[in-house]
Amino acid sequence: MAFRERIEKNTGNIFRSSEEGKYFPVVSRYTAGVAGQKFLEEIKENEKIFGTRCSKCEITFVPAKLYCERCFARMEKEHWVDVGTRGTLYSYTVAYEEKDGSPKETPSIIGAIKLGDGLLFHWIKESSADDLEIGMEVDAVFKPKGERRGSLVDIDYFKPKK
Amino acid sequence: MRKVAVVGAGMTKFVRRALETPKELSFEATKAALDSCEMKLEDIECVAHGSAPDAFDGIHQKGEYLADGCGGWNKPTMRVFNGGATGVHAVCHGWYHVASGMFDTCLVVCEEKMSNAMPHAQGFFLTIFDHITERPLYPNLLWIFAMEMNRYMEAYGYTKEDMAIAGALIKNHALNHPAAQLTEKVTVEDILNSEPMAYPVYRLDVSPVSDGAVAVVLASEKVARRLTDKPVWIEGVGWNVDTSYWTNKDLYYPRYLEVAAKMAYDMAGIREPHKEINIAEPYDPFNYKALHHMEGLQLSPRGKTVELLRDGHFDLDGEIPMCPSGGLLGVGNPIAAAGTVKIAELFYQLRGEAGKRQVPGDPRLGVAHAWGDLMQASSVVVMGK
Ligand SMILES: [Zn+2]
Repeated sequence: MAFRERIEKNTGNIFRSSEEGKYFPVVSRYTAGVAGQKFLEEIKENEKIFGTRCSKCEITFVPAKLYCERCFARMEKEHWVDVGTRGTLYSYTVAYEEKDGSPKETPSIIGAIKLGDGLLFHWIKESSADDLEIGMEVDAVFKPKGERRGSLVDIDYFKPKK
Repeated sequence: MRKVAVVGAGMTKFVRRALETPKELSFEATKAALDSCEMKLEDIECVAHGSAPDAFDGIHQKGEYLADGCGGWNKPTMRVFNGGATGVHAVCHGWYHVASGMFDTCLVVCEEKMSNAMPHAQGFFLTIFDHITERPLYPNLLWIFAMEMNRYMEAYGYTKEDMAIAGALIKNHALNHPAAQLTEKVTVEDILNSEPMAYPVYRLDVSPVSDGAVAVVLASEKVARRLTDKPVWIEGVGWNVDTSYWTNKDLYYPRYLEVAAKMAYDMAGIREPHKEINIAEPYDPFNYKALHHMEGLQLSPRGKTVELLRDGHFDLDGEIPMCPSGGLLGVGNPIAAAGTVKIAELFYQLRGEAGKRQVPGDPRLGVAHAWGDLMQASSVVVMGK
């Protein structure tokens, strides 16, 4: 089954009539796309993170894309590059508040992790904020194979290189 | 204002559910349009982008989101969106980028992916209705068309069979369109015997739900003459909105279109459109709507349209061929992109490159139309060679 059938999310917007209890049943079911499908398959099946490299523009886009946005070259099979599962911490933030503004019990860390020429946003765990340094190397930690479903969160989090 | 030509066109195939993301669909159409005129992205100075409601892609500000797929990286890029009217309006929008003298080249890219909404986008359309006067009834978009179709038929004594004749004529043109979703011949009986949805609208009175993208390349005269021996000129553009209370309209005459068409015809120097226009691509999400819009475009006298239809006036070899592309009814209806198919069709037809769909007799002047927003907006482009 293609991941497109699994990337399903109700937007949370319920399209209501102004009458109580009347609403239209609608969910949004997005496809990962031609490039996204393969990108997610590699994470799910092989614990690999792929980018696409445009040799003309000398840029490796991560996540992998169908086309180079700068010159419109089509990224074919030979443009796909395994960028590894170790990236560098390009920037990060520590979230202290929940979405509703209440304090978080435990602050969470979100990193911008440089892989190829792209940045992947992901959680940073197994580290306190005090121990983080921009430029440090971080490794992807994957969920166990049985729990992976073809999603960005098949990568559970990143952690500082041991 | 400077002269502006269409110099290239490209599109994806229209399908019920594409694997491609909206960005990827946009890329495929844009790439095909650039390839058709042997241009590179670096030759493009600006992008006019069209895509209808954000809700379909679930990304707010989806114009900016889709921009890179439309070739918009690092370029002046603007989105227009007025629902169904977008596909032709985006071309009006691209036209003034070039006509104004600001830019010599402009990509116009329109995309829609309807299949993200499951089971159907009707839930998103609910939000186009007025909170107080309409939404308490829990309305469905089809109601509007059903009301219009019923009143339109009543006003002139047209029948459901008349509407089905128009539908079959248009749909079957699509059998010769390489991007078309429709793959089998449809008869008048098929339409009349299809399942009722909201009387008098039956399943095959309606265009299919589609994913797809279309792009065209616009160029100033100087650039166009360098690129091609067969530029197709944008002779006139027009757009207009009627009342936003759809309930305040007479439902049988599209005044929004009369005004938009007059604006475009005036610019093109056309005084008698029914004698001067050789090809018409009226917006046809429903079969009755094609006829309704032929009247609004002043290409057929009010109340006489069915007579002309039955006389073959709108056939491919008739006086004014109607939707030779196969229209929304046959090629498909990815909302914003559906209007741009009509622009692409005039481009192919006026260059004599429409293959089996080619209108005979060296057509020189065509009109493309799209309609939408809160059912009251129209956009019109007149093209000539
Ligand atoms: Zn490139």
